[in-house]
Amino acid sequence: MTTTTHEFETETSTKALDVNVPQKAGRTLWTPAFAMSLVGFVAGMILAIVKATAIADGDAVLAASLNNYGIAAMFFGFTMVFTGISFAIARILGEFRVGGGRTQETAGSEVRTLKMPATAKAFIGLMAMAMMILMAAVIAHVVVGAQINSESMTLLDAEQWDLWLEAARRFAVSLYLFAIALGLGTIIYVIRYQSIRIREVANTT
Amino acid sequence: MTATLDRIVHPDIHYSTETGHRKIGLGIGAVALMIAMVVAGLGIYAASLVGSAGDEETLGQVVAIAFGVNTTALVLLKTAIAVILIGILVRIWIRVESVKASIAALKPDVDAGSVKTGDIDTAFGPATVSAKAPERLPIHKMANAMWGPMLVMGVMFVFAGLVVSWVWAGNVGTSTGLGARAWTQGLQFLGEGFVLASISFLLASILSGLREGGGEVQAALGVPVKTLKMPPTAKAFVVLMMMGLMIEIAQFGLYIYITTFDDVARYVLWSSWLGPLREFGLGLLLAGIILALATIATALGFQFSRIRDIVAAGK
Repeated sequence: MTTTTHEFETETSTKALDVNVPQKAGRTLWTPAFAMSLVGFVAGMILAIVKATAIADGDAVLAASLNNYGIAAMFFGFTMVFTGISFAIARILGEFRVGGGRTQETAGSEVRTLKMPATAKAFIGLMAMAMMILMAAVIAHVVVGAQINSESMTLLDAEQWDLWLEAARRFAVSLYLFAIALGLGTIIYVIRYQSIRIREVANTT
Repeated sequence: MTATLDRIVHPDIHYSTETGHRKIGLGIGAVALMIAMVVAGLGIYAASLVGSAGDEETLGQVVAIAFGVNTTALVLLKTAIAVILIGILVRIWIRVESVKASIAALKPDVDAGSVKTGDIDTAFGPATVSAKAPERLPIHKMANAMWGPMLVMGVMFVFAGLVVSWVWAGNVGTSTGLGARAWTQGLQFLGEGFVLASISFLLASILSGLREGGGEVQAALGVPVKTLKMPPTAKAFVVLMMMGLMIEIAQFGLYIYITTFDDVARYVLWSSWLGPLREFGLGLLLAGIILALATIATALGFQFSRIRDIVAAGK
């Protein structure tokens, strides 16, 4: 049984297409995102140790302030690590797009490239949403930490803010993971297309 | 165990068949996302209880329940990702068969000549040339055998922690509650660490599939077998993964240790850095995953380049 690629939405060209804009960003930005994530995690851990010292010294205000700075640093790390994962997935999709196209071109066939599937569009949209929520929470934690330190916010208000921001952070992390699942799901779709397409090229060339 | 897992990733199906991993994975993910929305609602409710006289116990209960349910939602999302990665692994092996069948028809009929074996430099990094397909590396053998058990154990730990979180919620403000809180946090993050390790092993299995599959295709075509050497990103991935997993195991031990404390102040002091430590461990595991994905991208680039060489020159 020979299966064709008609069920897939493709664009046809004579030459292989280059990476698209998100894939180009993925190629360039995964490394800085990786490096910044490590900076965030290490800074978050150091701030946690300093906070523990403040707790041991009985300085509740400093401890509450450092708690917010520590969470901000740690979740900056998480924002960057999920961004790095998303960019690395985009880079993989770029390799499939360019590699698949160039293989068809080398074989002397017309080049059929998959149009961006709905899962890939949702991946980008949800990733952007999650990143914005997480970054907003990180900034809010820094502001809360500064206000506690300057004693313009009570510890009770700070506790309330901590719970609000925790709710936002938790949801954003879940959203990010779902976006990553969509990105990886797109890879399955692309490999299935390519497995069918390469047989089609071999049968028609 | 390895044979069973190998059967899962090598199903006997037609190359065009949809395997269902994507739909199942995204389905689990969607359910988990809905649970996460409920947890966000619980968090907002908890914040509204802050400072309300007489609601301290309710606040503690909501915080305990939200923690347990949130970590469970997160592990469900990671399980969804693991299911999708299994789907990618299945597809990688189906792709090997498709490439093998197609390149045989596409490659020009030339004599490959004698194979010059040894090391070569490529645009994607150092590689080796051999006459036969390379053996599976020890790290790949471990990855192919371990992703399944790690996934099952991780999910079990997180669900055990969810049950303990109900004990925590039912004993807020007591020493039993403090003990249950430590057990919940330790168990659930140990589980999260195991599931992320499973994801890392699945990514390593994908790399193993690309390496073995690439070798298998070249050997079947009778051309020199060019195999990419392990890139620095892959080596760093293994280091970060091991460090992250060790931290998660250590934090579990330390959480059990603090349940023995009679002094609440000492418990609070230790908890203040154990929380960030468990997140630091997960962070390292996730950073390793970035490197694993980057390595997959490099390996794919190398493979496509090799396929084009064979199609163009026949060797």
